Amino acid sequence: MDWIQFVLAPQIVNGLAIGVAVVLMALGLTIIFGLLDVINMAHGEFYAIGAYVAVALLGAGLTFWWALALTPLLMALIGYVTERSLIQRVFHSKDRHTLTLLLTFGIGIVLEDILKLVFGANPLRVEAPISGATEMLGLFFPNYRLFVMGLGALIIIAVWVLVFRTSLGAMVRAAAFDRQMTASLGVPVNRVYAATFAFGVALAGVSGVLLAPIYSVFPTMGRDFVLIAFSVVIIGGMGSIKGAVIAGLLLTQIQSISSLFISPVWGDPLLFGIMVLVLMWRPQGLFGRLGHA
Amino acid sequence: MKLKAITTTPPINVKRLGIATALASAALGLPVCAMAQDASVIRIGVVTPLSGTYAGIGQQVKWGLDLAAAQLNASGGILGRKLELIYEDEEANPAVAVQKAEKLFQVSKVDFLTGTVNSGSTLAVGQVAERNARLIATTVSFADSITGDKCSPNVFRVNARAGMQSAALADWMASTRPNANVFYLGPDYEMGRSTVAAFKSAAEGKGAKTAGEVFAPLDNKDYSPFFGQIRAARPTVIYTSVAGNDTVRLFNQMSEFGVSNNIQIVGASGTVTSQNLPAIGKAANGFVTGVGYSPLLDSPENKKFIADFQAAAKTQPDLYGADSYGVLFFYKAAVEKAKSTDTDKVREAMRGLQWATPQGMKTMRAGDHQAMQEMYAVKVNNTQFEIVGKVAAANAIGPDTCTKF
Amino acid sequence: MHEVTSRSLGHPARALHWLAGLFFGLALVFAIVAWTVGDVFFFRLGTEALIFAGLALSVDLLLGRTGLLPLGQALFFGMGAYVSALVLKNWSSSFWIAIAVALVFSAITGLIGGLIAIRSKGVYFALISFGLAQVVSKIIFNTRELGASDGMIGVPVAQIAPGLESGQPAGFFLVVLSILFILYAGLAYLMETPFGRQLGAVRTNEQRLSFLGVDPWRTKLAAFVGAACIAGVSGALYPMLRGFVSPELMFFQVSGNAVINVIVGGTGTLIGPLYGSALLTVLRSVVGSYTAHHQIVIGILFILVVIVLPRGLIGLAAPALQERLGRREGAVRTPILHADHPQ
Repeated sequence: MDWIQFVLAPQIVNGLAIGVAVVLMALGLTIIFGLLDVINMAHGEFYAIGAYVAVALLGAGLTFWWALALTPLLMALIGYVTERSLIQRVFHSKDRHTLTLLLTFGIGIVLEDILKLVFGANPLRVEAPISGATEMLGLFFPNYRLFVMGLGALIIIAVWVLVFRTSLGAMVRAAAFDRQMTASLGVPVNRVYAATFAFGVALAGVSGVLLAPIYSVFPTMGRDFVLIAFSVVIIGGMGSIKGAVIAGLLLTQIQSISSLFISPVWGDPLLFGIMVLVLMWRPQGLFGRLGHA
Repeated sequence: MKLKAITTTPPINVKRLGIATALASAALGLPVCAMAQDASVIRIGVVTPLSGTYAGIGQQVKWGLDLAAAQLNASGGILGRKLELIYEDEEANPAVAVQKAEKLFQVSKVDFLTGTVNSGSTLAVGQVAERNARLIATTVSFADSITGDKCSPNVFRVNARAGMQSAALADWMASTRPNANVFYLGPDYEMGRSTVAAFKSAAEGKGAKTAGEVFAPLDNKDYSPFFGQIRAARPTVIYTSVAGNDTVRLFNQMSEFGVSNNIQIVGASGTVTSQNLPAIGKAANGFVTGVGYSPLLDSPENKKFIADFQAAAKTQPDLYGADSYGVLFFYKAAVEKAKSTDTDKVREAMRGLQWATPQGMKTMRAGDHQAMQEMYAVKVNNTQFEIVGKVAAANAIGPDTCTKF
Repeated sequence: MHEVTSRSLGHPARALHWLAGLFFGLALVFAIVAWTVGDVFFFRLGTEALIFAGLALSVDLLLGRTGLLPLGQALFFGMGAYVSALVLKNWSSSFWIAIAVALVFSAITGLIGGLIAIRSKGVYFALISFGLAQVVSKIIFNTRELGASDGMIGVPVAQIAPGLESGQPAGFFLVVLSILFILYAGLAYLMETPFGRQLGAVRTNEQRLSFLGVDPWRTKLAAFVGAACIAGVSGALYPMLRGFVSPELMFFQVSGNAVINVIVGGTGTLIGPLYGSALLTVLRSVVGSYTAHHQIVIGILFILVVIVLPRGLIGLAAPALQERLGRREGAVRTPILHADHPQ
């Protein structure tokens, strides 16, 4: 049982750490789709911007914890402005899906190049605020990763509570389910939309900050997670929070454990293959949509 | 709804015609301009990545070339003619590089071209050079094939190739850690695999043993899935051919997990460079690799070069800047020997040519157009590349495998 | 209000034909002028623009006419290029054989890809298309026999006819222009046939189509295979022009650029993508010479078009031109109808 303790178990724990990161990314994406019906192709770039905002704040002398606290607020602002000024303009079109996809695709291109312009193409360093490692299962596990797992889990729970247990969340879900009815009940639907987009973007930004010490910061970092985040969202069900969490954890485990048996290069194609199969047999994903789940 | 009665013949869409004419004239105006250029200037085309992931390398290339051109022009130019550098951004994409190279050859009528960074671009641009009867030199690409099985009579390389870098590193490893147990970790693509394979054969030839081998996907985010394997193999040395951002992640994560404790990390020359060293930080300390240049080279030429470079670019040169600086002196020596910029004469002059660089004298091997130079093993220590080993040029160069000329 | 893909049954065909004629006419004028000054570079740049215009045409067939957004069409383009390069290097330097093999290969891979992708719509289709391109380009990137990450150089020029080969700048430009013309004319004609109407019906309301006894799945598959063939043939021309292929031809950048070219030019118009490709190729080259951050410029232009001008340049110009040309097709004004909105 040496193999289980020294090879399999650490692999599972590693997979969990990566999984939490992926879930945070997928959450923002699925919320934005679930409510706004917007496929945010720029999600990766917002993740990158979150990391760069943290870099800038750290450069200005703030500690990591301040950066972690302030970045989501700044990202929410950026998201709100983006939604009000750009996305809402194509919102009322019949081809909304295609147009918002294309629009966010264009936004992503511009944002990535702006990052290169402002910060340069070379990678940057963010020092982890917690150093040292704990011995677990024969492997030394970095304390910072444990912290990310823990904080990530808390954030996920907080999001779930916010969406399903608060009146704010109820407004959001109502607006997703039936926009007109909700509007006629006096809910400022446009602002709710913008706020939701801002929230999704803030989640992406928080992931950026949290993961920066582990994965380093460079202008194309958004592409790291895009394919896997979209796969998770599709497999879990567009708009389903439960789906994003379960699919995110499950898929990263599959990737992590399968890398023991097949060459790791096939990790992403494997995920893609699963996504295609799910789309062929259960296109709504495992758990359906926000308004309905 | 409006009804419009048309009683006259439809007007020509003037606006559209105007735009089309403007575009056409803009497109055609350029060759007319090019023809009216100063014939007493030697034009050097530079196709280098100024945007994208390799922009950092492209920047060093630019600094090196600009400095050399300024110095050469200040001392009278080449054969009495001034040098002019014309830059184009290749975005590290061979398709773009080819387009820009052709523009430089055809429209700007450059006499010589340099600056390509990745080997795909160098090979493709080399073909364009053949079609245009011009010569190019690369100062960065280290794939062996460029002066090996894919060599071209119009392509020269002034920097060290991968085989030479491996030789320097293998030599150092054999003398400091004889019979080392080496674990290989590389990015899973052709360059990553062949670099690992080249070093492995050089190392095994000197008595090293292989503890294991794993290839991670290119742009891999998380290397922790491989650490269990590495630990189990108990290596004394880890060799890696990752580069750029992948190195930052690998080294930081290895340090996070304590995988690199008491293990010597070595790697390819592109693994730790001035572009990613700041992001790797302390985790890079102790890393050893084989290169053709270090800013710490103790020679008066190098010291002067560094001082000049620092003054002009406000930063230290790295091996890309140094080799790019040297290439214009190579060209100058060849043109002066040939007493002309004619392609065939210059090519003839370049074969076997020796010229002075910040790294000492280099010799251009005639058989494959590969520059020979002394090679160094360098160790990273607090952002400096300390020299810990040397291999003579003849021992490092390796066999001539070019059969095309 | 803003429609990208809706097109009424009476779209301004006459204006589009006029604009198409203008495009090819201008190309010929360009060719004559460039030939008289003995130019090489601009001919080759123009040929390259036309080759990528072919890719844009294939994207428009899917996006503008069938309502499917492909984010990985560079897959077929790149594969066509590799097949053509392999044929020219190893089998025969005949232009016709290379094109024929590329065409057959594209049809087969298009069929396979279509079977995987066609069941999905909208964003799902886009992501599958994207994912397929990623996976295959990664495989090619790693395959040593195909040159791996360096690609393959040394592709010989293709022999088209006695005295005409692909290394000749002017000659090859005209050959590629002719091919593009055939592709465009063929597609434009196809759109007027019942099959073309089926495609339009798929785009506006797929469910109703099956009530009419037509299988939308087969229609979409046929369009997908057709688009793959167009992209593949365009790709096959690339190594004939440049003498090499590299995996970058399959990367997302190429697919993304094609989509941008189509949107800016005018989705669904078929001639719009050609204009868009030509315009943006020139723009990218010119802006790229001034700044390394040309992506910002292109990106902003693209965003503006999506928000303000979703029908693209030709989509805007064509109805206006149609009115000026005098004669109208059917209705007094060319209304842009939603087929499933009550009128």
